[in-house]
Amino acid sequence: MALQNEDKLEVGYSSLHPKPKKWVLLMLRLLAFFATAAATVVMGLNKETKTLVVATVGTTPIKASLTAKFQHTPAFVFFVIANGLASIHNLVMIMADLFGQKLDYKGLRLAMIAILDMMTVALVSGGASAAAFMAELGKNGNSHARWNSICDKYKTFCDHGGGALIASFAGLILMLIISVMSIIKLLIKPKPDDELESTGLIPSGVNACRFNSELGKNGKSHARWKKIC
Amino acid sequence: MEKINKIFSNILRLIALAATVVAIVFMVTSHGSAQVLNLTFTAKYSYTPAFKFFVIGEAIAGGYTIISMLLSFKTQFWRLIVILDMVATVLLASSISAALAIAQVGKKGSTHAGWLPVCGQVPDFCDQVTIALIAELSSSGHSFLLQAM
Repeated sequence: MALQNEDKLEVGYSSLHPKPKKWVLLMLRLLAFFATAAATVVMGLNKETKTLVVATVGTTPIKASLTAKFQHTPAFVFFVIANGLASIHNLVMIMADLFGQKLDYKGLRLAMIAILDMMTVALVSGGASAAAFMAELGKNGNSHARWNSICDKYKTFCDHGGGALIASFAGLILMLIISVMSIIKLLIKPKPDDELESTGLIPSGVNACRFNSELGKNGKSHARWKKIC
Repeated sequence: MEKINKIFSNILRLIALAATVVAIVFMVTSHGSAQVLNLTFTAKYSYTPAFKFFVIGEAIAGGYTIISMLLSFKTQFWRLIVILDMVATVLLASSISAALAIAQVGKKGSTHAGWLPVCGQVPDFCDQVTIALIAELSSSGHSFLLQAM
């Protein structure tokens, strides 16, 4: 009889709190990790070489080779660095989610996750937009400043850069959703004790201490059970 | 404690709004012209899509800041305000990065692409754009701090 009561209480408790399930956040983080890692790798290996015949001396043509690398443009360097840091951040968060559930520092775990998520989102958004406008400049040029477009000469460079940008924007949107979910998780206030009693799940006057050992697997989220003791 | 939190976050929003307005005004009124060999060479913010995006992004973020200051006196919208705060911060960070990237190319040029720096010919334009960028930097910093509250 007592065992049935505890089972019923456990089921009742989990349906009372519709928190976002853990696997949704993990899946989103995994997808964001793949997106930002792909953007980093594709832009990091972006290089194109073109050889032109500059002059002909006798019968041997003199060739000059011009390369387009991502390091030539500070915006692309920032893009690679920002996406690299974002993928490292996502990897660390995935590891912490899977293996480090007990890691906590003075109860600030959720706050630290939320703040780090926000910082990474701002970084990735900066990197992605800087690279996007630089790519637009390279594709269309600027007639007012007498800057010629370079994409017609280096087509593969532009294509790969565009692909990296798309991956980065997808990662940005995913990380935005993740960050919003982390902040809302931080701000959900736990319900007060008298509300629980009025729902009828705890019969009033019963010592709820002995439920702690069965239900208190995640110590933090069951904090208000410990308060009753 | 809640009251103090609310007042402090409203002050932050006000500072961010003021910096946004300064940035928009300086970017929109930036104008420079130079005469080189009978050719007039003008520079305006609307010649570059990056600066246009800067002004539009600032305007949206500034409008959102005004609305959120008015809405923060009702507490039922707090989830919506958290989400929109995040979107506004991302927009601000985005606009300043884009404008900074293009301004850097304008100032230093790019030898690999054969692009000459433009700032030597229109120094007034460059100065005004620099002021707009600095104001925007402070605005996005305050908006980011706001999220931590």
